[in-house]
Amino acid sequence: MSISLSAQNIVKRYGGVLALSDGNLDVHTGEVVALIGANGSGKSTLTKVINGVVVLDGGQLLLDNKPVHFPSPQAAKRLGIATVFQELSLVPQMTVAENIWLAREPLRTGGFVNSKEIKIRTEKLLKLFEGTYRAAMRSDVPVASLPPDEMQIVEILKAISFDPTLIILDEATASLDSRQVQRLFELVLQWKSQGKAIIFVSHRMEEIFQIADRYSVLRNGKTVDAGMMKEISEKELVNRMVGKESAYGFAQSEAHKKVGEERPIRLAVNNLQTKVLKGIDLTLREGELLGLGGLKGQGQRDLLLSLFGDIPHDGRIAIYDKEVDFSHPRHAIKDGIALVPGDRSREGLLPIRSILENLMLPSWTNYGFPLRMRRSYEDGNQVASSLNLVMNNLDDPVNSLSGGNAQKVIIGKWLNKKPKILLLDDPTKGVDVGTKGEFYRLLKQVCAEGASIIFYSSDDEELIGLCDRILVMFEGKIRAELAGSTLTKSNLVAASMGVAEGNIE
Amino acid sequence: MKLTRFQYLSLRYPYLLAAIIFILALLVNFYFQKSILEPNTINNNLRVFLPLVLLAAGQSIVILTGGIDISVGSIVSIVSALLATRVGLEGAVEQTLIWFGIALLVGIAAGSINGFFIAYLRLQPIITTYATSFFFGGLALFILPQPGGGIPKEVAEVYRTSNPFGLHWAFYVIPLLIFVWLLVRQTRYGRYLFAVGGKAQAAYETAVPVNQVIFSTYVISGFMAALSGICITLLTGSGNPQIGDPMTLQAITAVVIGGTAMSGGVGGVAGPIMGAITLGVIKNIISFANIDTWWQTFVNAIIIVTALAAPGVISLFRRNKP
Repeated sequence: MSISLSAQNIVKRYGGVLALSDGNLDVHTGEVVALIGANGSGKSTLTKVINGVVVLDGGQLLLDNKPVHFPSPQAAKRLGIATVFQELSLVPQMTVAENIWLAREPLRTGGFVNSKEIKIRTEKLLKLFEGTYRAAMRSDVPVASLPPDEMQIVEILKAISFDPTLIILDEATASLDSRQVQRLFELVLQWKSQGKAIIFVSHRMEEIFQIADRYSVLRNGKTVDAGMMKEISEKELVNRMVGKESAYGFAQSEAHKKVGEERPIRLAVNNLQTKVLKGIDLTLREGELLGLGGLKGQGQRDLLLSLFGDIPHDGRIAIYDKEVDFSHPRHAIKDGIALVPGDRSREGLLPIRSILENLMLPSWTNYGFPLRMRRSYEDGNQVASSLNLVMNNLDDPVNSLSGGNAQKVIIGKWLNKKPKILLLDDPTKGVDVGTKGEFYRLLKQVCAEGASIIFYSSDDEELIGLCDRILVMFEGKIRAELAGSTLTKSNLVAASMGVAEGNIE
Repeated sequence: MKLTRFQYLSLRYPYLLAAIIFILALLVNFYFQKSILEPNTINNNLRVFLPLVLLAAGQSIVILTGGIDISVGSIVSIVSALLATRVGLEGAVEQTLIWFGIALLVGIAAGSINGFFIAYLRLQPIITTYATSFFFGGLALFILPQPGGGIPKEVAEVYRTSNPFGLHWAFYVIPLLIFVWLLVRQTRYGRYLFAVGGKAQAAYETAVPVNQVIFSTYVISGFMAALSGICITLLTGSGNPQIGDPMTLQAITAVVIGGTAMSGGVGGVAGPIMGAITLGVIKNIISFANIDTWWQTFVNAIIIVTALAAPGVISLFRRNKP
């Protein structure tokens, strides 16, 4: 068995956004290549091009030196490329065995599924992870009854059940415990010796160093470096991911950078826990702009939603020493908290209603009965001009605005209520550069007026440029707190890859 | 994912609840009507229950994949109207059989219309089949504006009075249905039904032909509705362009009692068949206990609302615990 896959100068656009401008990756029989990159570097896009989930816009894929085209995941599968997805592709109600062999069931004569054969083959596969799962996990239990790590194991077994030659492990270790990870790595070594090739994507730096033979680094959609793992240190690898520290496009006054330690603490969180969060402590002062960093899906969204009372949580949350327990966003709003959600069109706006209605949605109760419309227009216009909103008329539907302006409306609807704490969930995603600048100024202004902001962003540069202090999240915990001189991009990237605290400068 | 004991049991043994309700209903029925266990009564009962059994079996396939077919009652009505006008009370036996075949084709065609809109145009099942139910219902009234006509008496008598080997036809049809279902379960197609109903996206990523599977379920449902229409025409011997109207809700209720989840992916055909028989037994109870007949509809509605609300109510109470 041998394989050699080469992705050359891959280009991929999503709408107007260039996700990948020059992606390159070579992987050959008997090796593990780690695909490495910070947030938004394009690594998930590159893996999706290779496994046929998205179709490339430019460049070419060579399989054993012949050009190939993957219009669908099935096309890639037929040529022996298997992917272990982080978002599982399992049917919860079906059993472990049924899931693994779905659509590839061995048949008896007459077209009947050979359940006995399926059971035997599944048990053989399960042996690969023997001893790392509970006794209750058998081939005939429904997947829905399994905990996340065992579901992940089923997903891995499903991918390798058709004996692929190239295996893409996309964050396959994220929900496994350490014993299961070690077993997976033993299997990876076996696969290597059988001549399979493996592409390994992980947010844990130590795993990359443990298992990978070579690395390939993506930065801003370009492959910037590749080489042998043996010849590079953790620190250097982080530097490759970060590149030259780039100066950010707007000025930051040094005076503001030092957050007044003397300012009173507005929000204190102790040991906050949810299904994802594993004990979060944080404090937020008046007028502070606190950044929340880390790779996507490390619990940032859970943290914001818990503070907003939108999901069940445990732990102590206090506003000015007064303990609060929000079980509904209504309660949080009453205490002056506002959330600007990440998905504008789904959670933040009523897309086909007017700008005015969107701006006034949380505040209609202040306008009496019947609604005093003239006053609402006056207030609406005032908010719009303070936001620098580019629009024709308050009566236009809000989806006639550009992405950035629509985002301003979401902030604006809360500003009208003068919130004390503003929670932002990746608000600048898909917003053009010019509007971003205005948006940053607006946030600064809100802080200057005394409100506090917790700002999660998947754009590392933006966090560094904007925030006084950044908490980096990693697997549901706060991995590092960066402020002052430690507030650099390489520290941010290192912490989001779980690099040990000592190695952070 | 943590499952409650109840959720786990209903995943592993979806027919459990159906069996319990069935036995309870039977016991109550026995209290009011001591003759319920006599062969003659059983024959009479199953003869009346069979049309609903067939309808529920077809509906269960659709619901298993996460859809719903509200047009089945109207397909029953079309068949009744067609047979009553095209064959007539004076028709020949051969002619009747030919029109039975045509009726089945009509059912398949009606199901194909539903399936096309839902699987390929991605319209909502509940809206689509609600709309087509008026279309089919209208056609039935166009063919036969008022109840009347019928099929030859000698054909109807075969269904109504003959009991081969002492047992009514239903005794052979129902086990056959279950047997066919058990075979289908063991094919790839059977697995696809569960996969599509469980999580269509995952099924699609695993190369299951999701659209074709969804389409096929409506065709099966249409076919079974036509079969049910033939059956009920045999039972009554006459035509009625609105005879299927109340049957849709009953068929869905039967599926729900039968342990097939409305959200899809759990259940089968045997449970809904038991559910249909249970509904018939409940109807018996109501008539023998001298309760007003509108209770029948009321009981059906309560069963459906309870079944639909139960998962929501459970999660409401479990919600604020992390």
